[in-house]
Amino acid sequence: MDRSAAGQLAPTRQNLPAQGTDPEGESQIGARPRSEWRRSWSVFAANRLAVAGLAGLAILLVIAVVGPLVYTQSATDADIFNLTLNAWPSPAHPLGTDKDGIDILARLLAGLRVSLAVALFAELLNIIIGVPIGLAAGYFGGALDFLLSRVADVLFAFPGLLLAILVAGVFGASIGDAAGGLGRLALVIVSLALVSWPLLARYVRAEVLSLRERDYVEAARAVGAPTSRIVLAHIAPNVVGLVLTATTLDMASVVVNEAVLSLLGLGVQPPHSSIGIMISAAITVLNINWTESLFPGLALTLMVLCFSFVGDGLYDALDPRSLR
Amino acid sequence: MTVYLIRRLMGLIFVVLAVTCLTFIIGHAAPGDPIQTIMGFRHDPVEYHRLRHLYGLDRPLLVQLGDYLWHIVRWGDFGLSFRYDGRPVMSLLLNALPVTLTIGLSALALACAIGVPIGIWAAVRQNKAFDRVSMTLVLLLYSVPSFVLIPILLSIDIWLDTHGYPSLPVANWGTVQQAILPILVLAAGSAAYIARLTRTTMVGILREDFVRTARAKGLPRALVVGKHALRPALLPVITFLGPAIGLLVTSTFVVENIFNLPGVGFTAVTSINARDYPVVQGTTIIVAVGVAVMNLIADLLYRVLDPRIQE
Repeated sequence: MDRSAAGQLAPTRQNLPAQGTDPEGESQIGARPRSEWRRSWSVFAANRLAVAGLAGLAILLVIAVVGPLVYTQSATDADIFNLTLNAWPSPAHPLGTDKDGIDILARLLAGLRVSLAVALFAELLNIIIGVPIGLAAGYFGGALDFLLSRVADVLFAFPGLLLAILVAGVFGASIGDAAGGLGRLALVIVSLALVSWPLLARYVRAEVLSLRERDYVEAARAVGAPTSRIVLAHIAPNVVGLVLTATTLDMASVVVNEAVLSLLGLGVQPPHSSIGIMISAAITVLNINWTESLFPGLALTLMVLCFSFVGDGLYDALDPRSLR
Repeated sequence: MTVYLIRRLMGLIFVVLAVTCLTFIIGHAAPGDPIQTIMGFRHDPVEYHRLRHLYGLDRPLLVQLGDYLWHIVRWGDFGLSFRYDGRPVMSLLLNALPVTLTIGLSALALACAIGVPIGIWAAVRQNKAFDRVSMTLVLLLYSVPSFVLIPILLSIDIWLDTHGYPSLPVANWGTVQQAILPILVLAAGSAAYIARLTRTTMVGILREDFVRTARAKGLPRALVVGKHALRPALLPVITFLGPAIGLLVTSTFVVENIFNLPGVGFTAVTSINARDYPVVQGTTIIVAVGVAVMNLIADLLYRVLDPRIQE
């Protein structure tokens, strides 16, 4: 077993002990050979939880994108002519108002946008950094592998979110001053990707180590294909399933981690909305109105479950060996 | 074993060095002039240079880094705080560390004390009602982030309080009662994971031949499960302790800041907001080193408990 696959994996859901579901049998005599992706899709579609998760994510995405356009109450300002603080759900404010009198549904829609945007862009960045490094380290090996693996080890030395907390916290104030709320959001994305990429690179590296010894790669080398072509056309397509599964599962932690950063006051700043800010603000007024913490908490849990279900479905369907 | 220990210790030294250097660089790359921050609106070039010299900021960066490392190794000295009038960072850390260690280690112990029995019983009653219900709850609990759990527990606590039932204090530090809610919150996620892990392992072990033999020679089920099967079933749990400690770090930061506990996570976040970078560096290094040391202990424990692992 390769050194990198052992040891200090974060206990994400893929190394949770699985409970069951075998992938469907593949042997259909006389049937037309199906493409690998078609086969994977049918395995995925047979997993009810995964399909439910995918549908849930699609709905959440539509709500996050369309919601604020349809539901036009302000997410940053209270209705000062009709001020009600910590109001319970009512027709005027379907989920009530927070301690500043701002509509909670509007804040939740804005927070959902932040969560999903951070999840999406953090994973994009994660792929942009982690995949090339994993490919290079795995394919070329030697000194390059040693160097890249040590860089990853340095980042691994910071447990949990510690590095992201450090980076987002130390640079937050000045970036917020220079580039405003969007700058702050970008910093959150960068610091979360900083925590994610070493693990992705490690997975990709482990996969490439086994792929490069395959016969078809040997054949490509034998007919004189250039290295760039071998890596990009023969090896890279075979890590797509792995990357897709790993990043989907990682999104579940990213949405939580974004909330943690803003909850600690190191991420998105008020008056902008984020699920973490909503929860930390709601906790201070629990004795007045406990429903305020309920909705952001539910939304976050729902997102985590959806990402995990889809990730588990992908795991069964695409069967990326290096994630085990 | 000796070779293994030496290799692990080398790894530990690498972690300490890597974390210290990177944290130092981040702290010093932070924008803004810390001395000016300390002095506020005062304009006094002499005092400014005196403070700059006191904190050693007038020397080249590499010299500062070397000096910083040397002081940590030689005297356990993490420098002086910017905010608390030059108080040594170490004394701040020594105040914060017991709080974090208390809640962190109690949570870990509690997670094992809850998770293992549930997992075992679920395995024994495989596919019966208890198994189904507890494993569904466990999956749910595992997916709920700690800070979503906090308002739920606090709401229940407040309800108990307002209806005249005995309740727990909701913030601050000092009494045993004040530690209960934070420990519960911290333990929940790990307990859920441990329960599921124990169940999966136990289900496998209960099908093994040595269990059947023990049952066949007439030993009561409680003895077979509680003694023969328990030891191998605990091994994955101990393997999980390493990653669990890493995960606990993030939750500890959250819990300490919400419950207002003066631990390392609370100190770190307040220092970040106050731009007190020497303290930020100190807390980060202490946390990383602490986690690395506990990982090592968990690993050694595993080797002691599993006689199958030899060189």
